[in-house]
Amino acid sequence: MTASCAGTGGPASPESSGLGDIPKGTQGTVRILMENVPDTDIVMDLVDDFNAEYPDITVDIESLTFDQMRDKLVSSFQAPDPTYDLIVVDNPWMVDFADAGFLEPLDERIASTTDYNADDFFTPLVDITKVDGTTYGVPFYNYALGYLYNSDDLAAASLSVPTTLDELVSTSQALTSDDKSGIAMQPQRGYKIFEEWANWLFAAGGSIYDEEGNPTLDTPEAKAALEAYIDVYSNSAPSNSLSWAFDEAFRSVSSGQSASMISYNWNLPALNDPEGAAGSLAGKFKLAPMPGGKQVLGSWSWAIPSNSAASDAAWAFTSWVTSQDVDIDRVISGGAAIRSSTLEDPGVLTDGFGSDYYDAVKQILSDAAPLSAGANGEEMIQAVGTELNEAVAGTKSVDDALAAAQAAVVKIQG
Amino acid sequence: MKRVLAFKHGMLAPLVALLVLIVGFPLAYALYLSVTDYKLTDRGAPAFVGIDNFVSTLVNSDFWEAFGTTALYVVMAVGVELVLGLAIALALQKQKWAKDLTRSMLLAPMFITPIAVGLTFRFLLNDQIGAIPAMLRSVGIDYDFFGPGRALMTLAAIDAWQWTPFMVLLLLAGLESIPKQPLEAARVDGGSAWYVFRRITLPMLAPVLVIAVLLRALDALKVFEYVFATTRGGPGTETQTIQYFTYQTGIQFFRLGEASSMAFVVLVVVLTLIILTFRRVEKGRAS
Repeated sequence: MTASCAGTGGPASPESSGLGDIPKGTQGTVRILMENVPDTDIVMDLVDDFNAEYPDITVDIESLTFDQMRDKLVSSFQAPDPTYDLIVVDNPWMVDFADAGFLEPLDERIASTTDYNADDFFTPLVDITKVDGTTYGVPFYNYALGYLYNSDDLAAASLSVPTTLDELVSTSQALTSDDKSGIAMQPQRGYKIFEEWANWLFAAGGSIYDEEGNPTLDTPEAKAALEAYIDVYSNSAPSNSLSWAFDEAFRSVSSGQSASMISYNWNLPALNDPEGAAGSLAGKFKLAPMPGGKQVLGSWSWAIPSNSAASDAAWAFTSWVTSQDVDIDRVISGGAAIRSSTLEDPGVLTDGFGSDYYDAVKQILSDAAPLSAGANGEEMIQAVGTELNEAVAGTKSVDDALAAAQAAVVKIQG
Repeated sequence: MKRVLAFKHGMLAPLVALLVLIVGFPLAYALYLSVTDYKLTDRGAPAFVGIDNFVSTLVNSDFWEAFGTTALYVVMAVGVELVLGLAIALALQKQKWAKDLTRSMLLAPMFITPIAVGLTFRFLLNDQIGAIPAMLRSVGIDYDFFGPGRALMTLAAIDAWQWTPFMVLLLLAGLESIPKQPLEAARVDGGSAWYVFRRITLPMLAPVLVIAVLLRALDALKVFEYVFATTRGGPGTETQTIQYFTYQTGIQFFRLGEASSMAFVVLVVVLTLIILTFRRVEKGRAS
């Protein structure tokens, strides 16, 4: 009896046209699982507009915190009766889910959707949706990082935005005073420190993988980046912040206790929101690309499970919500950018969060790379993040930590 | 006689059936997974790999490091809880007024879900926005609660905050069940309070102490939420407990077969310790 429980593989795929243009009279219910973030609320607010075009499709959105999502997704993929018909996939999961056959290939749907203009999506976001040349998703929103800073603090120190790794170090130090830290960091073990430090690695001219896809974490550039990171953590970050993640760093900057942070680009509207956490500091924050011009990219993509019970209706919603017109509304409402043309739209520039912000986002998304490529991305990220944290904690030397990180990636991803 | 035995067995049958269903099936399923190469991303029946998972678990230094971390955590947390719990139980035993109020207030931490406790302390101990570091700084103390060499102690202290009341509850019940005559006799004979506590109260409380420590140790062994909410196993691997390690292997990295074998190794080690402890208690009683 036990043997029948594991790996039963889910049901055969239901009827799916596989085509892009879904008739307006299509009927069905699309059950969606999304992360419990502001972008999801924005999508929920758009459902009524979708139903104006597709009145017979019911959109039922469930939102969960990030840590709860993957278990529910995997259960749904394996279940004879799936729980979800449309999902959002985090980039480290994409290869594993696609390799497992959990996701429907979308190339034909994308190609056959009228006026979809898929070339308009930022290329780094699209790259994440492709596994061995097949497209399994379309971009939903981006987690690209940038340099967020309090412009008053920078002006008071007569400094300009750092454009090199050395300038990032010196600027962070110069912004540090008795009552303020130069930069709030997130060196928590695992995902957080790797996500942050990889920006330093890029700024030092390094990379996570070389052109052939081999890991490159034990290079001189990686060493310089980690030494600089430790230096700044020791001298310019809030004291005793070794276990900090995003929440703590954001609170530190928004409360004026730190002058800058490296974080998701879409935090700028939240920092500058007069009703938000920054209070009287709202309006003083600005966003810039990372020193060196290249940054870490995280991304969520819409994907249709291969066992979706309503795949045509799911594509109707996906192609509608990511279409050029709807994307403009979504970004004006505060959604994270996915299309290049949206950031040039006059309505966005006028009604959104400022042309400076969108210009910075555009630069950021034009040159960004994810933390992992290939299978077992989650495990690889955790392993590298553990070694980096050991180096910052001082329980391992920089050389030993990077050598161990390199060995771990080779072992996990081959 | 046969009829009596048949009746006895018949009466036991529903309980046995229930145990087989709610304990036996999950265990059998986990045992089955532990001898397969099952990954959460697999479709189709997993392959039988025999004892491969157990071998790889037994030679996995990270697994044993996590086991050692957990053992240290249990010793620290339960040790503190035992000492504090006993002291509080002795004090409460002597309390005359508002006993019910004090006891119900004392038990409050036990009723909060551990993940909420973990998250609360994550921010309470935060160096910039936390109340505790702020209070310490006002008296000139700068202490990194989640720093290297300290994070595990902090987690043990959180455990002690939440679960010392449980220890108090058990020990107070034990203290109140001790017959009064030997204690009064010792006092009449001129025994000091320390002498009475050491030579009479403690030995008579010993069976309850063993059970209390065992129950708390088994519960502390399962620590996951505090790690998840605060350190995620860091700094480095200093707070990577066995449950967090198993969670990562099975759920985060999808290798459920391997994680099941880890869970079984932990189960065998813990069961062995429990059996040895009970035998020792039985021997103590017999002698």
